[in-house]
Amino acid sequence: MNKSGLVLRLAIVIIFTAAAVGLISTQLFYSINYKNNLADGYQSIEQLHKTVSATASIATYLEDSELANEVINGLTSNDIINGAAINTSKLNISSKGYTDNENVVSFRLFSPFEQDREVGRLSIMPNLTHIRDQADAISFDNAVALTIEVTIISIITILVAFFVITRPILGIGKSLHNTVPGTDQRIKTPENHQQSELGVLVNDINKLLEKTEEQFFNERSLRNEVEVLENRFRMLFENATNPIALVESSGNILLYNQSFRELLTKLGLPLKKSYGPYLQDLFADKKLLALTVKSAFSNEEVATGEFELKAKNSDKSFWVQAVITATVSKDFKEYNQVTLHDISKRKQQIDRLSHKANYDKLTQLFNRQAAEYQLTQLINDGTPFAIILLDLNGFKPINDIYGHDAGDEILTHVASQIVKSLRKEDIASRWGGDEFVVVLPNVTSNEDIKGICKKLKQHIEKQHYLSNANKSVSVGASMGVAAFPDDQTTLEALIRSADQAMYRAKTKKSAEHYVSFSDEDTPSEQD
Amino acid sequence: MKKLLITSIIFAFVLAVPAHAEQLVVVVNKNNPIEKMNHSEVIDLFMGKYVVFPDGNKATPVELNNKSEIKKAFYSELVGMSLARINAYWSRLKFTGRARAAIEQPNQESLLTYMSNDTSAISYLPRSQVTANLKVVYELNE
Repeated sequence: MNKSGLVLRLAIVIIFTAAAVGLISTQLFYSINYKNNLADGYQSIEQLHKTVSATASIATYLEDSELANEVINGLTSNDIINGAAINTSKLNISSKGYTDNENVVSFRLFSPFEQDREVGRLSIMPNLTHIRDQADAISFDNAVALTIEVTIISIITILVAFFVITRPILGIGKSLHNTVPGTDQRIKTPENHQQSELGVLVNDINKLLEKTEEQFFNERSLRNEVEVLENRFRMLFENATNPIALVESSGNILLYNQSFRELLTKLGLPLKKSYGPYLQDLFADKKLLALTVKSAFSNEEVATGEFELKAKNSDKSFWVQAVITATVSKDFKEYNQVTLHDISKRKQQIDRLSHKANYDKLTQLFNRQAAEYQLTQLINDGTPFAIILLDLNGFKPINDIYGHDAGDEILTHVASQIVKSLRKEDIASRWGGDEFVVVLPNVTSNEDIKGICKKLKQHIEKQHYLSNANKSVSVGASMGVAAFPDDQTTLEALIRSADQAMYRAKTKKSAEHYVSFSDEDTPSEQD
Repeated sequence: MKKLLITSIIFAFVLAVPAHAEQLVVVVNKNNPIEKMNHSEVIDLFMGKYVVFPDGNKATPVELNNKSEIKKAFYSELVGMSLARINAYWSRLKFTGRARAAIEQPNQESLLTYMSNDTSAISYLPRSQVTANLKVVYELNE
């Protein structure tokens, strides 16, 4: 049985209370009973005294021991009297066992003929033991009766409490314990409790269960709706072709879609927890991105721009249009939504177009337009440089004899030889026809220029095997040099000077005088 | 006739009333040395407590028989009890065999004779009947 079970607790309380009440009431009853018995005893003694007082008076008056003995014997024959004594001035008669103690009741005896003439005393010793025994007997009977009564009442109370209160409550509790909230399970009202408080309780519980079920149903349908909505959003997000990521302002990536994962794979980067604020570590030019974002956000605008991504194991470049928005959530947390749009293809197309515009299709050197642009840049920057205008010699006969294809082949050969002779930072371009312009930035010394020209000449004059014609041919080159800013300060003047110098060299038509400087006075001069 | 009636009524009163109205006195033989007794001493002798006078001489209470009006009056005045109660008192004592009641005399003459002959005798009388042979030792209250 459960130690803190209702019935057990109730039984313990009832039993203890009954025992306590029984004990107290028995004690109280005994004490009252004893007092009453004692009082009764004393009253009886008083009455006995009255009964014998006439005879006792005569006995003491006459001081007649016979009569006195008779009185005493008569008195001691009573249960409640232990002993008695009659005392006069001459007579002292007492029963056996009489002792003068504080319990003794004494009566004055007067002459039967003179009411105010005291003639002796009658002393009666009450039988306290008898009185107490009587009180005990009565109290014991009473205690037994009380015990029986209390026991019966306790048992009835416990039984009633068990059958009327505890058992139905336990039933309700068990039923409630086994009830799953949100289902259509209900608790049965205990028998004969339809109108009682327990019935009301069960009704209320059932109402609560009903409400819970209703709420559960509502919640479930709401959850389903949310789930459907969530699935749709997820679909939208996951299937978006644009990589999208939600990033905390600290850089932690909270959310990303499939496209984002694919992008990282393409870039050869692992899926990290953070790529810095607004994924800046993904970008090739972090500073440019930061600048763009900062200026946009300070104007409360969406940051957009085209940026190159940092590809780890690929020489291919990735270009994206990035849209970065700042959002503040309800709990005042700042998030950045980064949407990327792959523009690599478009970028490549643009690059290709720009290449076509700037490069000579045949030789893959800068075309004249691009060269002019580069030169303008250098002039604008004030960078000192030298230009070499180079014109082929003996090209036209090859073109005429072996055809244009052979001519083109020669031009390509020359172009590659020119590139071979130059530093990386030098610019080579096809100026038109069989004319080339070489730009040497930061080269000012004539000696250096001459060295380069010599190298150029040697390379260009190398024999070239025309496979179509099955013949080896070679061309020569005449070069005119002009320097910026020593000779001329404008592009046209520089080109003109270099052109004139080249003509001077050409007119020599000598193997030694293949190059002329624009600042030379005599065209024949050569070093 | 009327005179005779009134006279006879008065006579009847004179005859009847004095027996009650007249003061009773306790008397002893004139040769008895006792001179005076008090109420208690009289009671003690007549109710059987003592059989001697306070001076130690033997005392013999004497009285008329039960029907006597004087006896009735005496006990009534002495202890305030009826004769029936007095008789009950004596009958109770008879069992112990100790106390004895006064000697009874059938009439006034024999009582007076007894009194004159016995010095230990003590009795009671209406004051008017006291003779020269007797001595009054106590007067009962009216």
